[in-house]
Amino acid sequence: MPVQGIRAVTAARNGVGAFILQCKRLDLHYCDWAGSSRGMVAFLKHQLPAFAKENPQIEIRVSPRPHKHPVLRGHYINGREKAICVRNLEPEQILQKANLLKEASGEKLKKQKKPVTSLNESVRGIWSPYHGDLKSV
Amino acid sequence: MFSRSTLRLARWTQQRPLSSPSLSVLLPQRACLHQSAAESQPSASPLETSSSTPAESVLPPTPPQTRADVPPAKQPIAPQFDSPVQVTQSLLETLPYLTSQGSHYISAHLHDRPYLVTEGDHVRLPFKMPKVKAGDIIRLNRASVIGSRDFTLKGAPYLDERLFECRARVLGVDAEPMTVKEKTKRRQRHVRKVKSKHKHTLMRIMELRVKTPEELLAEGAVVMEHSATSPRIEVKA
Repeated sequence: MPVQGIRAVTAARNGVGAFILQCKRLDLHYCDWAGSSRGMVAFLKHQLPAFAKENPQIEIRVSPRPHKHPVLRGHYINGREKAICVRNLEPEQILQKANLLKEASGEKLKKQKKPVTSLNESVRGIWSPYHGDLKSV
Repeated sequence: MFSRSTLRLARWTQQRPLSSPSLSVLLPQRACLHQSAAESQPSASPLETSSSTPAESVLPPTPPQTRADVPPAKQPIAPQFDSPVQVTQSLLETLPYLTSQGSHYISAHLHDRPYLVTEGDHVRLPFKMPKVKAGDIIRLNRASVIGSRDFTLKGAPYLDERLFECRARVLGVDAEPMTVKEKTKRRQRHVRKVKSKHKHTLMRIMELRVKTPEELLAEGAVVMEHSATSPRIEVKA
């Protein structure tokens, strides 16, 4: 029987070839009556068309949510979602929050000490005491 | 600002006749990514004299070179160099050993911090890089070490940026969980709570390539005498 290698599933590495934005959908909820939605309603009227035109890869859904505070909710490719309550915020602040959701990776926030994570195996290999030349002491 | 944009426009019109139209049509995104398309041009070339005529009014604007949504005046500027890259004869002889070996690593420096990366690595910078968007391509041009399994090209202290190509794609911006630090003063009940939630830029190394001696010579590399500051290739013990 011939030797068979270990079968490995290719891991997705976004950005090496094609780049796909991780935010796939943005839900915007507002209330017509409540005052905390005033900024959100202005954002929907004046700034959302330009934002949607800039980001054609993001699906945008607008729906009322009566008697509740306005909410921005981003849905990501990895299945997670991020929600931001935007009550009493100005339209410019809501645009900042929308950009934050757009650029986010969708992962849970984590503290990370090492900057580089690699899927590749070590380029130089593992050190071995039996290989290489002898060192004179 | 005005002088930069006019310079860029002039350079853009200069480079137009050089780039072959078929390539720029086929690869609108990658057309300006390679340095060979962005070499410094001698000022006495016939191409420049032909393009020094008021070309902007005659020529229609061509499609932008790297990103279609960025206006031509804001396209990235290709680096201009005063002198051609200088390599020693020993480097030219030993460089094929390094380029022919499979995967490479690079110690790329960003704000004087080294990042040891290979192709396809994910990098989370310890800061938020200003003025970049998700999807942008950044060329890392400062490196101290490039190596393969058995060979290492070391700079003293840094390598010339024309010896290699390393590109990273900006994936987005990430944050860390909010941390609250309690600050106290002596003999006081009051505790001040300092909140911090730093943002990080995420990048993916999309390309890492060491140039071969043929490419270097084709781009106009000059062979020089060996000196202490010239980069050299070391073999793994």
